[in-house]
Amino acid sequence: MSGKKRKLMKVYPIEENCISCRYCEVACTMVHSESQDPVKAYKLEGLKPRPTVEVKGAVSLSVMCRHCKHPFCFDACISGAITVDKNGKVNLDEDKCVGCWNCVLVCPFGAAHPFVERKHSFKCDLCEERGFPACVEACPNRALIYDFER
Amino acid sequence: MRYVIVGNSAAAVGCITGIRKVDKENEIVVISYEDRCYSKPMIADVLVDFPEEKLLYRDEKFFEENGVTQILGHKAISINPESKVVVLDSGELVPYDKLLISTGAVPFVPPIEGSDKKGVFTFTELGSAKAFKEYIKENNVKEVIIIGSGFIGLEVAYFLREIGINVTVVELLDRVLGKALDKRGSEIVEKMLRDKGVNFIFNNTVERIEGDEKVTSVTLKSGDVLRADAVVVAIGVRPNVELAKTAGVEVNRGIVTDDHMATNVPDIYAAGDCIECLDITDGQRKPLPLFPLAFEQGFVAGLNMAGKKMEYLGGLPLNSLKFLEKPVLNAGIVEPPDDSYEVILNDQFEKKGYYRKAIIKDNRLVGFVAIGEIDRVGILTNLIRQRIDVSGIKDRLVSLDFGLVDLPQEWRKEKLVEDKTAYKDWRAV
Ligand SMILES: Cc1cc2nc3c(=O)[nH]c(=O)nc-3n(C[C@H](O)[C@H](O)[C@H](O)COP(=O)(O)OP(=O)(O)OC[C@H]3O[C@@H](n4cnc5c(N)ncnc54)[C@H](O)[C@@H]3O)c2cc1C
Ligand code: SF4
Ligand code: SF4
Repeated sequence: MSGKKRKLMKVYPIEENCISCRYCEVACTMVHSESQDPVKAYKLEGLKPRPTVEVKGAVSLSVMCRHCKHPFCFDACISGAITVDKNGKVNLDEDKCVGCWNCVLVCPFGAAHPFVERKHSFKCDLCEERGFPACVEACPNRALIYDFER
Repeated sequence: MRYVIVGNSAAAVGCITGIRKVDKENEIVVISYEDRCYSKPMIADVLVDFPEEKLLYRDEKFFEENGVTQILGHKAISINPESKVVVLDSGELVPYDKLLISTGAVPFVPPIEGSDKKGVFTFTELGSAKAFKEYIKENNVKEVIIIGSGFIGLEVAYFLREIGINVTVVELLDRVLGKALDKRGSEIVEKMLRDKGVNFIFNNTVERIEGDEKVTSVTLKSGDVLRADAVVVAIGVRPNVELAKTAGVEVNRGIVTDDHMATNVPDIYAAGDCIECLDITDGQRKPLPLFPLAFEQGFVAGLNMAGKKMEYLGGLPLNSLKFLEKPVLNAGIVEPPDDSYEVILNDQFEKKGYYRKAIIKDNRLVGFVAIGEIDRVGILTNLIRQRIDVSGIKDRLVSLDFGLVDLPQEWRKEKLVEDKTAYKDWRAV
């Protein structure tokens, strides 16, 4: 076992299993909302999901921050809002972010999203506060798995 | 082993990060004549009374945790590569085993008559931004002339309007951001700024700055005279190579480095705005004074300084206009230089508030512009970086739901399943 690397757990999309039901998007938006209500989260709080379900023909998958081993978003962040913790988890501090959109411009997965009206970016935080990613829990098809970094 | 870094900004922080990936122990010393590690792209915010602590890029904790000693408020005036020391203006000698020069860029000020008068400013350091802000307050400045419509000039213009000052931008070319953006993009940016109350004068320049001691007006090349309580020269920057020259480091348009960010002088590396960088879109070496590139070059330099051989792949020019209501992003080539390039447009700006453009050569994406709707454009940036074949998806490149499903399945497998996201995995193929 290469004991050194396998510290970070993150979410892996399994495109063979995805049926583009978007439950992951709904669950994500809800758990990151004030109201903890899926409808209010979208309609009143104007929140947006951190994963994006992409669909093309028969293929679909849910894409969220990959917590890259070399995060371009971290290189590009001008405010110091993006940090990498000792396990390799990539954090984005929305309060510190100044909305320069550099992370949006360089993220190869399109996983750092702009919240233009509020002048800050946002992305998957692996539901750190909650302890387990809500998208993984919500997926009815095991198209998202929570696993150690490969 | 002792690492010394001259400069305390993007490239320096990148270098510290790189060194610490490999070497957790040895001493790192950072030297800067400025008093803190702030973010340059954020200095325009001081004009609108932005809390100054927010300008910090890395705080004391960062330096402590990384075991970095800072020597602040002192300028490095020369390097002696034989005895391997950096000489400070205080007379202090700082010995090094590996040295990084990351002295950034200095503003370019063309010889304009009267540019030594009070009230003429450049805008590339926190000190100069604050001095300008003071001058505005103390002299009750109402009219400002900005020379140059590059990113810095436009940003200053925007923020001056925020605090109610009249602004006129004088530009030699016929449009804003002439070197950085395509024509349509310029038009959109100009409109947004005009709506904000910024005036523009194109195909013209300031020939003379008038006034006894202080600026009172400017005379344009066309002969027109404009009132000016202050002038900001924002024509561009050039690599700050003064210190490097004292060490006998080779300098062309900027400091010359090899693929490992090393200069021609043993144990001296360089990164950031002070170097000339390989532009991956055209294979030319040139100054590319951009924050993300400075960081990445510093990072690669740090790895190499600490003994991990890693090549720098070259930089992709990219920009984000961060102050307007609608974001404006671009990367790579934005205006095709000849008709061997293909252009794909999705211009919905009037109707829906967005504009997308993709530039393709030999079935490879080489540049794009995204205005208004910018979510997930990083996927395009990566297509350029990795030179992925786009022949089957050309029209998709400018649509808002373009995504990873449009990329080869092999790519998704490699990045998403096998987790190949280390620096070496992002190489261009
Ligand atoms: C107003 C403004 C807005 C910008 N906006 C953007 C943007 O939106 N996006 C973007 O990508 N880029 C932007 N840039 C460019 C970006 O700031 C630079 O590319 C980046 O800061 C370069 O980092 P660097 O480490 O190479 O050098 P710099 O940030 O220039 O820092 C140089 C460092 O060296 C120190 N130094 C220099 N000489 C000596 C010496 N002899 N002795 C001791 N210390 C010395 C300085 O004090 C400083 O700490 C902007 C720049 C400005 C001025
Ligand atoms: S936001 Fe993008 S670049 Fe940053 S860690 Fe996540 S996937 Fe990687
Ligand atoms: S938008 Fe925010 S998080 Fe993203 S790079 Fe800019 S400051 Fe950093």
